[in-house]
Amino acid sequence: MAELRTATGSWDELIDASGAPRPGAAALVEQLQALGLAELQQRQDLAELDILGMGITFTVYSDGRGIDRAWPFDIVPRVIAAGEWRRIEAGLKQRLTALNRFIDDLYHDQRIIADGVFPGELLEQSVNFRPQCIGVTPPHGVWAHISGSDLVRDGDGTMYVLEDNLRVPSGVSYVLENRAISKRAFADLFARQSILPVDGYTDELNGMLSSLAPDGVSEPTIAVLTPGIYNSAYFEHSFLAQRMGAALVEGADLVVGDDDCVYMRTIDGRERVHVIYRRIDDLFLDPEAFNPESVLGVPGLLRAWRAGKVGIANAPGAGVADDKVVYAWVPDIIRYYLGEEPMLPNVPTYRCLYDDERRFVLDNLRDLVIKPANESGGYGLVIGNRATDDELAEAAAHIEGDPRNWVAQPILDLSTAPTLCDGQLEPRHVDLRPFILSGATSYVTAGGLTRVALRRGSLVVNSSQGGGSKDTWIVDEAWGA
Amino acid sequence: MMLLSRVADQLLWGARYLERADATARVVRNFTEVILDLPAGVASSWEPLLAIAGSREEFDRGHVRAAEQDIIRFLVADRENLGSVVSSVAHARENLRTTREVLPRAAWQTVNDLYLFTGREPEAGVDRRSRIRFLNHVTEAVQQLDGVLDGSMLRDEAYEMWRLGQSLERADMTTRVLGVRAAALLDAPEDRDLDYDDVQWMGVLRAVTGLQMFQRSTRGPIHGADVVRFLVFEEQFPRSVKGCLARIRVALSRLPREERTVPAAEALEAALATVPVTADDGAALDAAMDRLQIALAHVSDMVHATFVAAAE
Repeated sequence: MAELRTATGSWDELIDASGAPRPGAAALVEQLQALGLAELQQRQDLAELDILGMGITFTVYSDGRGIDRAWPFDIVPRVIAAGEWRRIEAGLKQRLTALNRFIDDLYHDQRIIADGVFPGELLEQSVNFRPQCIGVTPPHGVWAHISGSDLVRDGDGTMYVLEDNLRVPSGVSYVLENRAISKRAFADLFARQSILPVDGYTDELNGMLSSLAPDGVSEPTIAVLTPGIYNSAYFEHSFLAQRMGAALVEGADLVVGDDDCVYMRTIDGRERVHVIYRRIDDLFLDPEAFNPESVLGVPGLLRAWRAGKVGIANAPGAGVADDKVVYAWVPDIIRYYLGEEPMLPNVPTYRCLYDDERRFVLDNLRDLVIKPANESGGYGLVIGNRATDDELAEAAAHIEGDPRNWVAQPILDLSTAPTLCDGQLEPRHVDLRPFILSGATSYVTAGGLTRVALRRGSLVVNSSQGGGSKDTWIVDEAWGA
Repeated sequence: MMLLSRVADQLLWGARYLERADATARVVRNFTEVILDLPAGVASSWEPLLAIAGSREEFDRGHVRAAEQDIIRFLVADRENLGSVVSSVAHARENLRTTREVLPRAAWQTVNDLYLFTGREPEAGVDRRSRIRFLNHVTEAVQQLDGVLDGSMLRDEAYEMWRLGQSLERADMTTRVLGVRAAALLDAPEDRDLDYDDVQWMGVLRAVTGLQMFQRSTRGPIHGADVVRFLVFEEQFPRSVKGCLARIRVALSRLPREERTVPAAEALEAALATVPVTADDGAALDAAMDRLQIALAHVSDMVHATFVAAAE
């Protein structure tokens, strides 16, 4: 019989402090205990074989070479009750609606700055603001069509938004693949209770992308633009193209004609592309408009987009709101554009730009997480109570040298979930990345990607740095009751 | 949506790599069986395998001996040899990894499984005790893939590009098997042991898995000239040059820009018409196989020029 344990001081996602199952988790907890560790390990091994055979991989760099690694997956799912999930879902939709209004405003009248809610100097210093995008109005006025916000739960059970990924967030393919694997491992539980399906995502994505087509095109040709096979998320780019019946293209497959339309090079000559789901960063998108050195992009793409001849998701420039400094203003942004209170809280964030907040950060380094404002993937992050004196001194120097680019937050006690480690169920820290689609309407995946730090005590969940993943079950308790 | 040029190129070569892995597996397996059949007194050599694979020179660069194990390891398990079974499968997998969006999902899984299998224990393909089973597994996986494509793939340009690559490689292998037999006829001393001539021709048929079908279509004992006729001209046999040519023509007619590619197929047809149905004139047969290989390469070049290079 498998024993479930919690970590001292952390909120466990499956069981409460007394060991009783959380809402929605009763059936799973019962089954975990009934199965026993040997049987669980066997199912884990089978899942890993499936992952290998299905070729579910991600790419890591080592010695300058891209290596295709099997996707790390932990068989024990993470459960969230449907009631709680509905509140999170509504909060995410609210957040993305406001963020999209914010981006659109920044590229037009900048009312939020004129009204004194958002400091103009921040925009002037933003590395993600693209002057080339000023005045453009993309379909539905939406810029960040696909986003993945990272959520974490603190020791008291509060779910916070940790960051908004509005540029090219990845991971959604693993949400769908994890579900395929977990259905095999826990087939009986899927039959006995209502676990909300995740499979509709690619259809929703397809519909949303189609809605970005230039006027008059009813059956647009959609292309997923990938940097290529050496990109860490290539598996996902291919997966999404497969699921949508879209073309998977690299920059060299596309060309912008004299008519400002985008074409792909086919065996029968050029064929028009109406919508591009780009998985390339802004700066590499178009060497004519941005980084002239880029070989990944398509010369003239921005021109085509500005002329309304092609839809691009996410819109160039959307990343202006994906910035750990802007993050600190999101509650104000929601209030300003929607006149509502935020439904999902932000983690309290100290902005080193301001003298008083910076002084507080420098005086309390040991109790804070220090984050660069514009790095993703967990690099450059310093966790105060785990850093050496030298590391803290280095962080302080960085902050004083370039205050605008640093923020700090209290060290959260990230929640844990039981995870199979070396044949035992151990509490390990988790976060959650739901994916939000914004177009004419919005859509949120049922759950999202639960990432888990596989090393004991570690808070780093990125798969590039030894993190794993779990299936996320949104369990509707009303069903069958 | 029309097929991307880059994807077309990768499909064509993916199909060729996989067909090559299968063809090499079949040739090595059947050669192994033929040699085991020959009485101990008859001189036997594994070297013709290198000639069939067209990699004699490359082999000689890295080897001083040409014993059975060396040759089989080189052809089956050597990752440094780009034409080995293991390398061909790895290349095919890499090509399929970048074309997954146009192929049925099971196609990728089949090739990925085969890649994991061949990479796990390539030496099993060398050891005589496990060699046949290993090589059979390769052939079975490739046949399974063929079944997946046949049973569940849209008959679109991607499908035709795959069949085109497969047929080009298949025809090429048949001409090489025949070419090596022709060369052997040339080299053979006057007093060669004619008793085992039929065994050798049987081996040629087996190398392309054609023995049983040959016997169904041609009555009586096995004569060299009949084998040549069957493997070159019997359109009903899918591995004959003419059978492959028919499939190549179908593919080209279903792909765009036919007017640019069909002339190359017609040149191949013309080269085919010059093949002598003989088992006695090794020089003429050898030269004819060379002409076919050149014509096949020309088809491949024209396909590349039309579908890939023209899009640059």
